Amino acid sequence: MRLLECESKEILSKYQIATPSGRAVSFINNLDIKPPVMLKAQIPIGGRGKSGGIFEASTSDGAKAKIEQLLATWVRGYKATKILVEEKLDIDQEFFMAITDDTVAKSPLAIFSSEGGVDIEALAERQPQKVRKELFSMRSKLPQYRAREIISETGISGRLLLGLGNILSRLADVFLDYDATLAEINPLALTRDGRLIALDCHMEIDDDALFRHKELIELAKEGNRFESERSLTEFERKAAEIDQIDHRGVAGRVIEFDGNLGLIIGGGGASLTAFDAVQSHGGKPANYCEIGGNPSVLKVKELTRLILSKPNVQKIAVIMNVVSNTRVDLVARGIVKGILEAGKDPAKTVAAFRIPGAWEEEGFKILSKYGVQYLDRTVSIDDTARIAVDNSGD
Amino acid sequence: MGEFIEVKIDLSECTDMSDVDKWVQVCPVNIFKVEDNQPAVIEENEDECTLCMLCVEAFPHDAVTIHKLYENGMI
Repeated sequence: MRLLECESKEILSKYQIATPSGRAVSFINNLDIKPPVMLKAQIPIGGRGKSGGIFEASTSDGAKAKIEQLLATWVRGYKATKILVEEKLDIDQEFFMAITDDTVAKSPLAIFSSEGGVDIEALAERQPQKVRKELFSMRSKLPQYRAREIISETGISGRLLLGLGNILSRLADVFLDYDATLAEINPLALTRDGRLIALDCHMEIDDDALFRHKELIELAKEGNRFESERSLTEFERKAAEIDQIDHRGVAGRVIEFDGNLGLIIGGGGASLTAFDAVQSHGGKPANYCEIGGNPSVLKVKELTRLILSKPNVQKIAVIMNVVSNTRVDLVARGIVKGILEAGKDPAKTVAAFRIPGAWEEEGFKILSKYGVQYLDRTVSIDDTARIAVDNSGD
Repeated sequence: MGEFIEVKIDLSECTDMSDVDKWVQVCPVNIFKVEDNQPAVIEENEDECTLCMLCVEAFPHDAVTIHKLYENGMI
């Protein structure tokens, strides 16, 4: 779940990280504005400044006009229902700091840059000496002395180092306490009067941990946080319901397309690879989806039935990377059962089945019984996609 | 009976039902229930069987058999 800037800043305030004074507004009637102010559309996406989602206003009337404009404007697929009106600060210097997950090291990672308001990846390539990264333990957190060590490596010292270290340490607390996958302040401003203030904040919370944050669940349920050009289709809503049947695995993160080849795909990022491969071979996917984490037979069966319920879908391709925790035989059972319950013949419905890995011998026995041809790990995802596309025209 | 798995309970092997609750609880995918103080199979869950064999070990000797219907085999 991506929090809006104003929601993230409320959290920062709880941790005594200063933010510009201001508030989020949804209307301009009786609004008391003390210019100059910054006006920021509250939408869950970056790049607002370059897309017309942020304005500066030097008069009260000008600010009100811009607020009305922002509330009526679609910015990169979203329309704000709230505009953050904040004091404009006199800035001397900007910094970047973030805490995120290093998924390879399986550890939280602190990132600091002496240059803020920038694309941090580009800066790290261009001037690596300005960006410092350090892993830290979830148990011992990021004490201030360690935060200062990280920051001092960029050449910062004195009172500024103390202040920045304090904020980076607290941002790590925010990250851990809220089960975030990202907590980023960019830019963090040093004002001309010597204050350190978080000008913008981007926080993303791990969806699987939301149950531990009831206030955020309530927030997510609010239908009026922002408007989106694209809402879930009925097909996607049903798929999400299937995924909620039980806690085991994932079988339902679906995006609907208008093609004729149903896709049941996944495995460590392989769903995107498989989807792209199907398209590159001229296939027209009926959907994107993700399965993994050893979903129950019931979930796979229901997802298969749902995909086959689309009138133009006669064939499905089942493609995963080599699996370890997902069992091939359980997925095979779900696929075959879903096809049978849809009143179709598995041998004629599966355009390709390629899930190598755990319990594959058992899975292949099941597929053999129903006449479904399967591909093992010697056949690449790309070749499997080609075969699926070739078979989908029958 | 499931499409792929059939789980059978031979009640004649279950002479002492005092531990019946423990027998049914070992299944990680809820294939068993207790009905009238006897173990019974929940047919709609049979295809979820992970072949872990915990039930075979927990129930009295030879009381539970697992049948793989896709290869006509009993394990």
